[in-house]
Amino acid sequence: MKRAVLALLLTCIAIGAALEATSPPAAAQPQPQNLAQPAPRTTQNTAGAGTGAAVGAPQMPVDTAPAATPNAPLPGETETQDALPEPSLAAQDLYDSARSDLLQIRMLLKNGRTQSTVGSGFLVGTSNLALTNYHVVSQMALDPAIYTAEYIDTDGNTGPVELMAVDVLHDLAVVRINRNGSGFFKVPEQPVRLRQGQRLYSLGNPLDLGFAISEGAYNGVLTRSFYDRLIFSGPINSGMSGGPSVTASGTVAGINVSRRRDGESVSFLVPVKHAQELLRKVAEQAAPPADFNPLIGKQLLAHQGSMVDKLLEEPLTLKGMGQYLVPVRESGEVRCWGRSNARGAVYSTDSMSCVMQSAVFVSDVQQTGNVAMTHQYIRSGTMDPMRFATLASDTFQVNNLGSTGDPRLTKPFCTERFVHTRTLPLRAVTCVRAYRKFEGLYNFTLLTASTDASQSSLQSRLDVSGVSYENGLRVTRAYLGAFGRSGRR
Amino acid sequence: MSEHTSQPLTGLTSGLTSAPTDLPARTASLRGPWTIETLARNGEVLHRHRVAALPIRMGRAYDNDFIVDDDYAAAHHAVVEAGPDGRLRLRDLGSRNGIVHKARRIKDELAIDGDTVVRMGHTSLRIRGAAHRVAPELVDRTMHGWEGMLPGGAGIVLAVLAALLVAWLTDDSNDLERYALFPAAASGIGLAWAGLWAFGNRLFGRRARLGRHLFIYGCALAALVGLRLLASVVAYAWSLEWLTAYASHAAVATVAVAVYFHLATVTPQYRRRLRLACGALAVLVSSMILAGNMQRHGRTADELYMPVLLPPELRASPDVPVADYIDQVGAMKKDIDAERSGGN
Repeated sequence: MKRAVLALLLTCIAIGAALEATSPPAAAQPQPQNLAQPAPRTTQNTAGAGTGAAVGAPQMPVDTAPAATPNAPLPGETETQDALPEPSLAAQDLYDSARSDLLQIRMLLKNGRTQSTVGSGFLVGTSNLALTNYHVVSQMALDPAIYTAEYIDTDGNTGPVELMAVDVLHDLAVVRINRNGSGFFKVPEQPVRLRQGQRLYSLGNPLDLGFAISEGAYNGVLTRSFYDRLIFSGPINSGMSGGPSVTASGTVAGINVSRRRDGESVSFLVPVKHAQELLRKVAEQAAPPADFNPLIGKQLLAHQGSMVDKLLEEPLTLKGMGQYLVPVRESGEVRCWGRSNARGAVYSTDSMSCVMQSAVFVSDVQQTGNVAMTHQYIRSGTMDPMRFATLASDTFQVNNLGSTGDPRLTKPFCTERFVHTRTLPLRAVTCVRAYRKFEGLYNFTLLTASTDASQSSLQSRLDVSGVSYENGLRVTRAYLGAFGRSGRR
Repeated sequence: MSEHTSQPLTGLTSGLTSAPTDLPARTASLRGPWTIETLARNGEVLHRHRVAALPIRMGRAYDNDFIVDDDYAAAHHAVVEAGPDGRLRLRDLGSRNGIVHKARRIKDELAIDGDTVVRMGHTSLRIRGAAHRVAPELVDRTMHGWEGMLPGGAGIVLAVLAALLVAWLTDDSNDLERYALFPAAASGIGLAWAGLWAFGNRLFGRRARLGRHLFIYGCALAALVGLRLLASVVAYAWSLEWLTAYASHAAVATVAVAVYFHLATVTPQYRRRLRLACGALAVLVSSMILAGNMQRHGRTADELYMPVLLPPELRASPDVPVADYIDQVGAMKKDIDAERSGGN
């Protein structure tokens, strides 16, 4: 008996071994497939590396703004309506005459001189000043101890770049280099008048692949942005930021700044009038400031002032959500979206979120100067009060106040209280963080939850970033005080 | 731990030395019969052997009065005799490994009393006379009826009830599965937890006392849930936000108390020491939580603010007007600015 079992066992082992011996070819077969897989990945990687190196245009999903569209010609405006030649020929000629004044601007790490971001720029007239975007040179402006910059022109000549002035709000910067322009790019003293549909040529170095020119059409002024932007219906890729968009005659109409990632050839330009202002400032100043941080802080302070004034210029609009009245701002700059999320039959959630499109790019990792408000109305007809309370507490727990280890901001300081407005008792939490680099600027977050009902809860959140303490308090007071009950259920 | 087989009393008692009976406590060890106790390293008695008369010969050979079942002991290792001073004397009979007292090998002989522990080879011994004083009996506070199925069942019921309450409170989808899952998890974890303690109890005590350990687990779980709810309700009612902000320390204390009861069930004689140890452990864990919060979030509290919302009937304190609140927010500026300039 024992022997029979042993024999059986041995047979099993032998068969197992034989199977194992035959399996490798079968297992080896998929290998070529596996080897083939990395191939597409490498192409993706190079593209990825390209975009990674290029300056990502700051993502401004929907910009908002005071609409001062200069449609009618104002006295003193330059008429730049040229007769349109054949497009491709015009682009060829234009590029030929523009190339000597076109620059690529590279941010370099001082240690090792490796490039961290690249963008474009152009020499203004016959001067040694070049215009570019603030976001191209932001690293150098914020951390001059770590970053430096150099330019490369279309012939491959390189040279140092000296930062002269920045305009954070309009995303512009003026730099000085060690040679003069040929005078092709004309930045006119007067504002330029453009017509919708007029052909514009955008120049730059897209994705660090080489200098390029692309054609597109001017399509008016973006009214939803806090600071005006021109809409350019043509391709602008990352890396072209800071490059010029010119008319056929070489008059600069705007500076490439951003594009919509979700759109097709929907790009934005900074109107040239802001560049003119900045150049005038450079002409007035004796020497470039040694440290740009206080200057940037001052510009951000100015921005928040006008932003909060705009936000509170008239009383907040009250909208009904169930039995509650919630404050929102209805204007061109504030966009709101609503959403309803009825989960089963137990409870339902209606939410409304509004964003004021006034974000200002400070650095790759920091945008500031925006306002966002969210209202969430949760109700249930069937849940027991204690059970509903657990649900409401869960929703009221917000953990994304940003990383507390963020070196640019202090840790959040919070104040919590049970407050009452004229008609509604609320639980209010305010958390404030200060900017370490920019004195006098704070991020305010206000969280509120209604405490008047056991089966419905109104929870709201207001984020105001990059404001002075007084303005933060002003917005908090106006917003918090506006909550109420409408009386109807 | 060395093993000892119990040796039946051999009839080799010889030489009748009648011990003086009226000597003071110092010489009490001279009154027979004598008990040789084999000890474990922690002082626990592994085995006792009674000898009627002196001298007591000890060693591995079968002609000894006390057979030392130890490969490292000599055949005739030592002998215990009455000394001239009325105390017992332990004399080495020329063994190779000798007799060790207080980590020192004794030269020739050693005066011993009831508390002298000597080592022969790997065996620790102590010899006590009949007159040796013992500690008074302990007051028995053990509830002997509260053992086995009764407390075990109560513990499981408590754990299941606590789990059901949590399942019901956090239910936002009328999902019936959770009402099976939560209690199952709670009782499963309880059985594993109490099982481990019972194993330890069987190892270090004499009985497993699984029922007791289950009861302790059930109580602890119910206390954890209850304290959390109580803290939330009280904090919400009277605006005592710190109650929930430091709620984790209440949980730590609860767990420490539970661990103390588990340990006291295993070794009831060391209650005092266990209390100190569990208290120290709780303080250690709490300070680790505080330090961890400080490092991760720059604050000692567990949360940034109290997220608890409860039905309006549970509010007891009055609310403040918005203006007061804004003043409070305004007062915060000082701290933030101090942090900003200090942290740079």
